[in-house]
Amino acid sequence: MQSIQTIEQLLDGLSRRRRLNRGLRSAGVGLLWGSVTALLAVIGYKLAPLPASIISWAILVGLVATVGGFLVGFWKRPSMLETARWVDELKCLQERISTAWEYRGSPQSNEWQTLVVNDAVRVLGTIEPRRLLPLRFPLEARWGISLALIATVLNFVPEYRSEAALKSEQEAKSLADAGRQLADLSKQQLEQRQPVLQPTEKALNEVMEFGEKLQQVSATRNEALRDLATLQEKLERQFQNLAEKPALRTLEKAARAPSNGAGPSDLQKRMDALRQALGKAAGQEEAVDQLKSGLEKLKQSAQALPAGDSAEAKAAREKLADSLSDLAQQAKDSGIPMASLDEAIDALRNAQTDFFVRDLNTALQELEKLQELGKNLQQLQQEMAKVAKDLAEQLQLGQAKAAQATLEKMIQQLRSGSLTTEQLQKLLEEVQNASSPAKEYGEVAEHLKRAAEKMAQSKQSGDRPELRQAAATDLAKAAEELDKLLQQSADAEQLAAAMESLSRAQMSLSTGKQFGQCRGTRPVFGKGGKPGKGVGTWADEEGWAQIPEQTEGWDNSGIQQPELDSKGLTDRGEAEHNPALTPTKVRGQMSPGGSMQSITLKGVHIKGQSQVKFTETAAAAQAAAQNALNQDQVPKAYQQSVRDYFDDLKK
Amino acid sequence: MNTEEQISAFRTLWVRLKQEIGRVIVGHEDIVDGTLIAILGGGHVLLEGVPGLGKTLLVRTLSEVLDLSFNRIQFTPDLMPADILGTNLVVESPEGRRSFEFQRGPIFAHLLLADEINRATPKTQSAMLEAMQERSVTAGGEIRRLADPFFVLATQNPIDQEGTYPLPEAQLDRFFFKLVVGYPTGAELTEVINRTTEGQKPQIQKVIDGAALMEWQKLVRQVPVASHVKDYAVRLVLATHPQTSTAAAITNQYLRFGSSPRGAQCLIVGAKVRALTQGRYNVSFDDIVSVAIPALRHRLILNFEAEAEGITTDHILAQILKEIPKSADPIKA
Repeated sequence: MQSIQTIEQLLDGLSRRRRLNRGLRSAGVGLLWGSVTALLAVIGYKLAPLPASIISWAILVGLVATVGGFLVGFWKRPSMLETARWVDELKCLQERISTAWEYRGSPQSNEWQTLVVNDAVRVLGTIEPRRLLPLRFPLEARWGISLALIATVLNFVPEYRSEAALKSEQEAKSLADAGRQLADLSKQQLEQRQPVLQPTEKALNEVMEFGEKLQQVSATRNEALRDLATLQEKLERQFQNLAEKPALRTLEKAARAPSNGAGPSDLQKRMDALRQALGKAAGQEEAVDQLKSGLEKLKQSAQALPAGDSAEAKAAREKLADSLSDLAQQAKDSGIPMASLDEAIDALRNAQTDFFVRDLNTALQELEKLQELGKNLQQLQQEMAKVAKDLAEQLQLGQAKAAQATLEKMIQQLRSGSLTTEQLQKLLEEVQNASSPAKEYGEVAEHLKRAAEKMAQSKQSGDRPELRQAAATDLAKAAEELDKLLQQSADAEQLAAAMESLSRAQMSLSTGKQFGQCRGTRPVFGKGGKPGKGVGTWADEEGWAQIPEQTEGWDNSGIQQPELDSKGLTDRGEAEHNPALTPTKVRGQMSPGGSMQSITLKGVHIKGQSQVKFTETAAAAQAAAQNALNQDQVPKAYQQSVRDYFDDLKK
Repeated sequence: MNTEEQISAFRTLWVRLKQEIGRVIVGHEDIVDGTLIAILGGGHVLLEGVPGLGKTLLVRTLSEVLDLSFNRIQFTPDLMPADILGTNLVVESPEGRRSFEFQRGPIFAHLLLADEINRATPKTQSAMLEAMQERSVTAGGEIRRLADPFFVLATQNPIDQEGTYPLPEAQLDRFFFKLVVGYPTGAELTEVINRTTEGQKPQIQKVIDGAALMEWQKLVRQVPVASHVKDYAVRLVLATHPQTSTAAAITNQYLRFGSSPRGAQCLIVGAKVRALTQGRYNVSFDDIVSVAIPALRHRLILNFEAEAEGITTDHILAQILKEIPKSADPIKA
């Protein structure tokens, strides 16, 4: 039926436009509320110490509200019947359209259906969907945009923060920074080397977790400091447990040496390389120093050179060139040829002062380099002097790696089978000598002792290979034990590093400084060679496992302690002696010059005339006396007298 | 004649009826409309108003416009049911045989004017219950059908209550509409004077007979009503039921009993008639609203509080019409 189709088309169009309009309106409402939220968030952020993320969240809420509003509005498409009723209501069509839509397929009389539908078509002909439902920007959206613009402008206004808020913000930053650094450092430590001991690994993981927790700023500064202290204590206990092993002390001390326990061959190689770099200058430190001081003097003279081509200037340059030539000759004589000096002389003679200064500087740099290399060579020579020669010394000096290498060498010799009796004897002596210093290394001493015994037996029995093999096995066990101790030492080192990080974090939190600006204290086994307490220059080796004292100054500038502020000075006048403190008694006299002291006893203070009858008073006194007699408060000797007295009163 | 032509004819008839009645009755447009709507809807009408406002004249005029048999009963306290319904009398045939013969009362007419109906006793008033609802009379053990169509147009006087008997609720409920006749305006009163004091009696033509009227009544019932419009009528009636979930606030406060389902029926039928009179083929919310008060006002029973405060059912219905929204969720079956 054509009429029904007409109605359907119109209602369909209207329905779609209504849906779109609803979506736009809902989006407008969402935008309005989102803008209100954003505005409130911005105002709140500008006035109160809220986190900056609140603005991002508010913007997100606004966007979600707008999009969500549109979707909610657009989601449900209004049905045709609903649209028909809406048109009826809007255009006051007396329910013509909705009735027609309902009756379009009803089994009722066809004539009525036709009449109703035609009537509806007639009135619908006057309706244009675009005019009826123009797609307009809803009022809510306009308000929403206005508020969003206000919020945007407000965002550029600097925020107000109280002193307390700024401090709190600073604390939060400090917490986050310290936490991040702690976590990163612990992570790096774990990545670089996995601890051998499980407690150490657990402790490092705890430090990392603590750092991550700090990073989230979920606790206050005081709470963080408390937790930090707890963790520090824990690590400290663990460190002390490790420190109970005497071998670790020696290992740690050796590890702190510049050569870092390197073997003599390593040191020799490095020395050779330095000698090669120094060339003929090796061992001529004094000559180098003299050259350098001479050049510096010339450089100063060059700065005072007169400018221009005057005769005086030429003469001064010539003089300087001559002095420089002498120095160059001196350098050549010492075996330190310096091409830059020749170039400098040429430049001076050509009046090229700039080039002269440049070449002079180059020559000075070369000399400084030679000086540096010479110093390094001297240092290595000193270290070489300290390097242990045999296993006993190596163990004594804590050079575990060198000792391991020596042991490996011995093992190879023992297993090789081509060991002469002299060599065996030498090995035996070395091992026997090492037994004593090896006592600090736990089972190492035991293994060395067994190896020595077996080697001795082998020697006595005429080089028995099985005994040599057994001795080699014992030496290998000793090497293994040393390796284990080295690993534990490395664990201790990691713990110490973690404790240093914690110490830095503690300082950072306490002072409010950045983590990088704080220097922590690293616990070491001993005092690091520094002079100990008392007289003398020897190191205090006692209490080596304890945490060293705080030697660096703490910066307390960030800490406010109002209770320690000075309270100001007040004028209290001339000091007067309290009269109460003046002695009033003289030994041997009672109240000299004053009245006698009296004692006030408990009881009724009777003053004036009594209004009580005598008989009543006497009766009361007799009752009290009787009570006293009954309770044996009156001495026996007086009891009868008391009774008699009151009996007489009765009479 | 097809439906469209029938509707067109209905409109013409409506205009003519109003024109003819208008020759006699001055003003009272809503009363005339209400009466005609009730008649076209097949219901009875209760006209209430102070004496002298033309209630009886309206009914008499209507009886003249409609080509129907008309009887009038003046209700008095001593009126007996048999005086209305009829009675068996002993009659003697020419052969001298005596037998009982039913003597029909005035109720046996198409249009019955029950003037001042509240002056009769409840017993007499109740005699009309069966007639109004069943359109039949049971007398002497025999059921007798009344004329078809049958309308009762009753009048009652709200003042001068001494010696009157308020209509029982059951009877009130049988009236399609209760129309309250008010005072005429100045212009209307002038016109009344002009028409009634110059000796000219208007000539009224009969417009419609009983058979045609019944056809129109059938036509009326075919008018389509949209479901949400029906829902609105139902919600209005439900809102008059006190202490229910659908009751309006004012209902709970002032009503003892609400409208019966007859109220809803009358609302819809009355709205259908009104829709046709407006030239529409469907019932609108406005139709329902316009017939709501005459259709429901006599079906509500006020409580003591309302009586004490002088609240009328009209006031309550106006408030309900204001409160109940036209668009709402459909009523679930």
